[in-house]
Amino acid sequence: MTIALKDKILSKVTKPTRYTGGELNAVIKDPASVDVRFGFCFADTYEIAMSHLGLKILYHTLNDRPDTYCERVFAPWTDMEEQMKERGMKLFALESGDEVTRFDILGFTMQYELSYSNIVNMLMLADIPVRARDRDESYPIVCGGGPCAYNAEPVADIFDFFMLGEGEELIHEVTDEYIKWKKSGKKNKKDYLEAIAKIEGVYVPSFYDVEYNADGTIKSITPNNPNSPAKIRKRIMKDFDKTYAPETIIVPFGEVVHDRVMLELMRGCLRGCRFCQAGYIYRPLRERKSDTLLSLADKLLSCSGYDEISLSSLSTSDFSGLRDLTDGLLDITEKKKIGLSLPSLRIDNFSLELMEKVQKVRKSGITFAPEAGTQRLRDVINKNITEENIVRSTALLFSGGWTNVKLYFMIGLPTETAEDVEGIADLAHKVLDTYYAIPKEERAKQVNITVSTSSFVPKPFTAFQWEPMNTRDMLIEKQNMLKGAIRSKKIKYNWHDNKTSYLEGVFARGDRRLCEVIIRAVEKGCKFDGWDEHFKFDTWLEAFDELGVDPDFYCTRARDYDEILPWEHIDVGVTKKFLIRESEKARAGETTPNCREKCAGCGANSFGTGVCYE
Amino acid sequence: MSNYILKYSRDDRVKYISHLDFVRMFHRAARRAELPFVFSQGFNPHPVMTVAQPLSVGVTSDGEYMKVGFDGEFSPQDLTDRLNAALPPGFKILSARKVEGKEIDLTKIDRAEYWVKVEYEGSIDAQDIADFLNEPRLIVMKKSKSGVKESDIRPYIYKLDLTGSDEKTAAFSMTLAVGSVYNLKPESVIDAMEKYIDGFKPEFFAVHRKSLLCGDVDYL
Repeated sequence: MTIALKDKILSKVTKPTRYTGGELNAVIKDPASVDVRFGFCFADTYEIAMSHLGLKILYHTLNDRPDTYCERVFAPWTDMEEQMKERGMKLFALESGDEVTRFDILGFTMQYELSYSNIVNMLMLADIPVRARDRDESYPIVCGGGPCAYNAEPVADIFDFFMLGEGEELIHEVTDEYIKWKKSGKKNKKDYLEAIAKIEGVYVPSFYDVEYNADGTIKSITPNNPNSPAKIRKRIMKDFDKTYAPETIIVPFGEVVHDRVMLELMRGCLRGCRFCQAGYIYRPLRERKSDTLLSLADKLLSCSGYDEISLSSLSTSDFSGLRDLTDGLLDITEKKKIGLSLPSLRIDNFSLELMEKVQKVRKSGITFAPEAGTQRLRDVINKNITEENIVRSTALLFSGGWTNVKLYFMIGLPTETAEDVEGIADLAHKVLDTYYAIPKEERAKQVNITVSTSSFVPKPFTAFQWEPMNTRDMLIEKQNMLKGAIRSKKIKYNWHDNKTSYLEGVFARGDRRLCEVIIRAVEKGCKFDGWDEHFKFDTWLEAFDELGVDPDFYCTRARDYDEILPWEHIDVGVTKKFLIRESEKARAGETTPNCREKCAGCGANSFGTGVCYE
Repeated sequence: MSNYILKYSRDDRVKYISHLDFVRMFHRAARRAELPFVFSQGFNPHPVMTVAQPLSVGVTSDGEYMKVGFDGEFSPQDLTDRLNAALPPGFKILSARKVEGKEIDLTKIDRAEYWVKVEYEGSIDAQDIADFLNEPRLIVMKKSKSGVKESDIRPYIYKLDLTGSDEKTAAFSMTLAVGSVYNLKPESVIDAMEKYIDGFKPEFFAVHRKSLLCGDVDYL
């Protein structure tokens, strides 16, 4: 029985199991037995990090290598950070408890723009120089991946390299090269970066020079190293059915956000909603076979003891083997008394029947995402859901005993008018009328309709990447307009704070001139920007001001098609030509059919797989 | 249905797990062990289990008890082996026993033996402890549901020994009341020592629960 430093710290913080590791199925190795110590970093709390599917995949595939020890490294909550600073403890990895300062590689998954400040803060807590150019060979190589890596320019000076696209193969290739470099004596970091710059999907930002025009737009992005390609193409897994999927899963002690087995049905989406970055960057749609998924489900449930399983994809209803899969899953879940949750389902007779089977007792809320209030605007964004769909589906739901309906919308979409905003309230009232149209004795009591709006943020690699984001004043005006248009007490309106959306809008389409702003903001105390209680908007504005950077330039400015965008050198498969075509169709209010109905020629067929070749 | 009493330990690796998290962890272990637990009714069926005197966060133990029910019968060894194979590192079932009726009643557990290690400044010796225990009343501020109030803890200290000390740390063994009548935590005893023993300044401390007792009897 000893009293360790960690005990003195952990006795003073909330949720200490965030920091102890030791969960079931966590991988423990002898650090002396490996060549590479890899810190898999997620710049948010344990509860969010442990809900992330990508972490689970890459953690286990790296640890399957005998030469590599991959550990988890998360952002300590502010109380823990204070204790660590007070006691001189640096950022540490969960498995070994060791400080990460001299690890070989730190790999950050970049899930959302608002975590940039936490990435910088974590490096500072690890006592690692924040800028890549200030890190010599004795420090870890810092790399990043995930959706924000497709335009990682705002953090380009911080990272040594980025991995674009799916990491299941790529992460092994860069690790292999690292081992070669390490065994040759780790003489010069540039040697390693040159070796990996040749690998498809690797982007080394320091190997590209960016020049600017007098008006602040980009003049050119040019490779400055013979090993770096003019365009960096994302990686995807061609045979998704055979792609590595872990057969084990870490089971946290404390509750996490997605505390269940997650079964990844497919990657990509065939819908083509014009605002949706995920819908474009993960193309083409690829599926796993039902049998593969059922066998995985069985293994994951047995090794974890979880009593819930969830299907993961961008649009579950588009999974072609859904009936086989759900029949098979229900066999397992009924026998083992396991709950099955089915997110991202379109409401039709089949899915209602399915929900009846799954939710035998509790009829919890159902969420629809019409995204826009009028058919005109839904056509603009290519959200192929009609008012009739929604009314008919909600009628089915209300007759089936459901009483809570959530409706998700965005405000600030391109071409939006007052009529579109008021259309949100009209649609909610029509859903309410559907409820009242059902005879009293056939409907459940106490109907609740929740309308939620978020602010539209234009993202790179979407049809709206050239669009100006609405100003904060415009968004507030629209929120107030909607508030005034909702007349029933049965309809509740929730809206999203537009200060965080504004910052997200700046970083989403930002360039390298934002790096110093982010570092300055963190020095001034910004962190956990995704958390209301920590978000310091005024401090951010000060940081922009001090460095003479105008955030509106990135956020509320309209771009021309011929402007060189900060992500011009990145190739996600979907072509600029296609995005321009989609942008024009949006302005004309024309829709584009989904990939299974008719190929729209987006360019993702160049990967030679998936829905393009069904 | 048959009921079993399990005695188990929790070491340093899992001492920060709260009671609720412990219960959920055990539900999952039960599923992994594929033992035919008796499940509760309702929307989220879970194995029925009763934990005797939940352990405070940060405390290790090798004398915890719980009661569980199964459809079917198992030898204590089989049960112990299967659960140990399913539990996360840091938990261990030490022994198991099938119980009929009320022969073992976990609600009758009324005291616990603790080993406590205290970092301190100043001094402490056996005479200090003897004098401390001779005080007619030991009043400390104690948290209860209705707020913080004064309480005399002397009647609930059944045993207190200084088992070792050096300049920086002192080790104690103490047997204290637990349960619904009066629940005395080691930190309250340390608070009282700070108040009543001149020149003893406790700082950080670590607690290990050695056993849970019903009178003088340890069930397993």
